[in-house]
Amino acid sequence: MSFARALVVAGPSARLAAGRVALPRSLALAYRWHSTAPRHQQHDPLVGNKPRDYLDPPVPPKSPSGLKTAAFTAADEPGKDYDPYKDGPSAIDKAVHLFFFTEIIRGMWLVLEQFFRPPYTIMYPFEKGPLSPRFRGEHALRRYPSGEERCIACKLCEAICPAQAITIESEARLDGSRRTTRYDIDMTKCIYCGFCQEACPVDAIVETQNQEFSTETREELLYNKEKLLANGDRAEAEIAANLHADHVYR
Amino acid sequence: MVSLARTIRSIRRVGLREWWHQMQYIGDAKSGRFVGKDQFGNRYFENLNPEEEIPGRHRWIDFAQHDYNATQVPPEWHSWLQHIRKDPPTEDPVMQNLSPPWKTPWVENLTGTRGAYRPYNTTRPKYEAWEPKSVPRG
Repeated sequence: MSFARALVVAGPSARLAAGRVALPRSLALAYRWHSTAPRHQQHDPLVGNKPRDYLDPPVPPKSPSGLKTAAFTAADEPGKDYDPYKDGPSAIDKAVHLFFFTEIIRGMWLVLEQFFRPPYTIMYPFEKGPLSPRFRGEHALRRYPSGEERCIACKLCEAICPAQAITIESEARLDGSRRTTRYDIDMTKCIYCGFCQEACPVDAIVETQNQEFSTETREELLYNKEKLLANGDRAEAEIAANLHADHVYR
Repeated sequence: MVSLARTIRSIRRVGLREWWHQMQYIGDAKSGRFVGKDQFGNRYFENLNPEEEIPGRHRWIDFAQHDYNATQVPPEWHSWLQHIRKDPPTEDPVMQNLSPPWKTPWVENLTGTRGAYRPYNTTRPKYEAWEPKSVPRG
């Protein structure tokens, strides 16, 4: 509609605007009902039933003095003309490529080249694709170098987990420190977003780079605290090396 | 993958016996530098020549067991094999220094066997069954 308004403002299209005014009422109504444009845009500027905008006083837009307002041509602004076809192929060139199927043949030639190249197939269990040190795989609970478990049962990971896959219960230990008695992760709920390891203030819960923990039964994916601690105990060197490799970006 | 010149070159380097072994497992004749061997006997190789090995296939493992499994790779070598770390753990000072004394041995994924993980409750149950106690009558 905005371009229609511009047409109305310009002189020679008054005929078109008159045609719009003379639109049958039922047709105009049907157009307004089915159009998805905002309602205020559908008022015809020539009819003048536009709702008055009190915040915007009806000041006509000012044009630069000494310039024609209606129609600019390239001759009015020299040096701003740009021909997008100037450096491209000519129409004959394009027609030749079109009628001789050269683009199709070039595509088929590319396929033929790939046919004779060695395939880029990684033989999986023997060769593996690259992974990032930030890769988010199976979860693990870490320990301090002294062997003390890190998790302090602050439940930030449980709170932030968008899938609500973590369940934590805590009790005071005999020495008075608060530790978890239950740290369950339902790996079938987990979406591996990594929010838990970002929320953890003591770097206790991490996602290791192990992605090969598929199981045959569903219940094997309901990890408890012992399983998570065992994951961390087995892979601590790799986890610590990855955190060390990434610590400058954290 | 299978180019005759590459196959012949690899056979001349590794020998017929090793080539036959490779064909039974990887299914491809590969040759490269022997990088190391982990505690399970898996051997790790590397060939950084892009003319001989396509980049991305330049690190590979020869499993010790016939019944091989991707999870038989211990985590230190796993991070080398998956190109997470540049150096193998035998030459990586970071990996060696960050290895704690309480580290437990790696166990492969035991799903489907009797050693598979079974979840269990780590807390006391919230409620217990009623145990009837009869007070002896006087």
